[in-house]
Amino acid sequence: MSRKRHRLVPEAFGQKRRREGGDVEADPLRGESGSARAAVAELVRLFPRVLFEDALPPIALRSQVYSLVPDRTVADRQLRKNSPILENKISLHRSVQSTADHLTLTPFFSLSSLWRQKALQEQGEIRIIQLGFDLDAQGIIFTEDYRTRVLKACDGRPYAGAVQKFLASVLPACSDLSFQQDQMTQTFGFRDPEITQLVNAGVLTVRDAGSWWLAVPGAGRFIKYFVKGRQAVLGMVRKAKYRELLLSELLGRRAPAAARLGLAYHVHDLIGSQLVDCVSTTSGTLLRLPET
Amino acid sequence: MLGFLSARQAGLDDPLRLRRAESTRRVLGLELNKDRDVERIHGSGVNTLDIDPVEGRYMLSGGSDGVIVLYDLENSSRQPYYTCKAVCSVGRSHPDVHKYSVETVQWYPHDTGMFTSSSFDKTLKVWDTNTLQIADVFNFEETVYSHHMSPVATKHCLVAVGTRGPKVQLCDLKSGSCSHILQGHRQEILAVSWSPRYEYILATASADSRTKLWDVRRASGCLITLDQHNGKKSQAVESANTAHNGKVNGLCFTSDGLHLLTVGTDNRMRLWNSSNGENTLVNYGKVYNDSRKGLKFTVSCGCSSEFVFVPYGSTIAIYTVYSGEQITMLKGHYKSVDCCVFQSNFQELYSGSRDCNILAWIPSLYESVPDDEEALVVSS
Repeated sequence: MSRKRHRLVPEAFGQKRRREGGDVEADPLRGESGSARAAVAELVRLFPRVLFEDALPPIALRSQVYSLVPDRTVADRQLRKNSPILENKISLHRSVQSTADHLTLTPFFSLSSLWRQKALQEQGEIRIIQLGFDLDAQGIIFTEDYRTRVLKACDGRPYAGAVQKFLASVLPACSDLSFQQDQMTQTFGFRDPEITQLVNAGVLTVRDAGSWWLAVPGAGRFIKYFVKGRQAVLGMVRKAKYRELLLSELLGRRAPAAARLGLAYHVHDLIGSQLVDCVSTTSGTLLRLPET
Repeated sequence: MLGFLSARQAGLDDPLRLRRAESTRRVLGLELNKDRDVERIHGSGVNTLDIDPVEGRYMLSGGSDGVIVLYDLENSSRQPYYTCKAVCSVGRSHPDVHKYSVETVQWYPHDTGMFTSSSFDKTLKVWDTNTLQIADVFNFEETVYSHHMSPVATKHCLVAVGTRGPKVQLCDLKSGSCSHILQGHRQEILAVSWSPRYEYILATASADSRTKLWDVRRASGCLITLDQHNGKKSQAVESANTAHNGKVNGLCFTSDGLHLLTVGTDNRMRLWNSSNGENTLVNYGKVYNDSRKGLKFTVSCGCSSEFVFVPYGSTIAIYTVYSGEQITMLKGHYKSVDCCVFQSNFQELYSGSRDCNILAWIPSLYESVPDDEEALVVSS
């Protein structure tokens, strides 16, 4: 523990770290550096398309992005549109200059370069979907994949017209997770029967009276496999001696029958949602169940 | 370090810069030290700690058995090994001791002649430190969870009290009355805190998931209710206008009063802009919190990037305030940690826990680590 502290200390004086390489393990999972977009692209590659016969667009989870991009605030900012921190930081800057102290908020200001990279959601490149089983679980899908899969799913069905109108008018305009009644009827001109057709198609899910979540048609199977797989992989760590497992050993084991989505997919999610603690040891990353 | 010193000497750098860099270095090196100890007086869990703001020398602690102890933190012996001794205590044999657990103690902000304590026995007591007698008692109808007196107030002597009822009461020390009530919450008030920047701004946190900012001079309701989604209901899973998805347990303003930190039982900590109530959306990750009453956490003061020290189960987690990065977890307590305070003059952290111990976390001395082989060969 004292060794790690002394590594933090020279940074306070602004010096570069003298030792490199000892703490960066050759980790099969942690190859990513920095960008949320690259993280989502890599996670989408882990998604098993064969399992769903290509009817579902590849879904990555927000917690998986956190496991690849170590700074959560930066990852959130890159995924979200119109981050309020930008305006907040400007107001903070002004009020900081007005105080007598010369605050050197070094870590805060160094993020300014990342903010110039436009947020993915704002660009419309990804959609964030609320997966119903957990408050925090949000799925990330590339908009192109989503559009092609939804069109393929509703091909030849009676609700195809309403779905196409939805994809053409609502998706590019509004990048939110959910839609309100007045937004749908007035801004986008949908009538009630059309909204019912959208719900039947699986594109919208009822949230409460007068608001709907954006949804993926056929995602129920994915959610079922995901929840079972998450419990199965967590159980593997739980049953291990001392309730801890080396990451390399966990990935080398045979996937339990319940983990249909693949071990790597579930491990990313467990690390990112902090259901297991990641401890870096000399033999690699160790996954340990938290005591609390 | 030498670079900083010579730049300061030559006038190239502001003198404050060296001080901040050194304070940050010391906070990053906090650890348990065999040379520093706090005398163990409490027979049951330590619920609250407070260090006096004038000198930073005396510390008050309140326990679950109603005992209040006053410690002297200054090391006046010439030895490096020092135990912080208890100067005096309000024990079970004192005629005016609290009947049940003491939840909050606070020094009078302007000198150490007086302190206030509130307890589950529905009272707020004002004590004279030198004689250890009660100067005044305020009685309430419900158990008191938390109280706070403004550290910068010069025009008023109000103590904000949060009880099990939904009304925040303001007690005036000068007149002895508590007639001012702030209405707006729907369940018990778990934490209250005055702003260290404006003497009339008060923040309250309640079990109904809401955190409200009040101007006590204003007759009509609260100024702002903090909303974690910043008004965008489309991003919200549950109803809007809540600060957390569970009870809001703890409140702490940053030392300049510009930002407010809140922790909730949804295992999240949020940073808010205190002037417009906006969620800055800094993501700290999972901040484990299962406390059923208030959680007392603290922010560092005087470092180049401020740190927040949050009790996390039986450890204390240190995060950078503005970037959300977790620095480290301080392990040492045997049971859950309830409170922690930061002594900003010496960059020391004191924490109290349910295992009746108060631990002192001291900056470790910077010893060079001999990890080169040449050094080993030379020494042998």
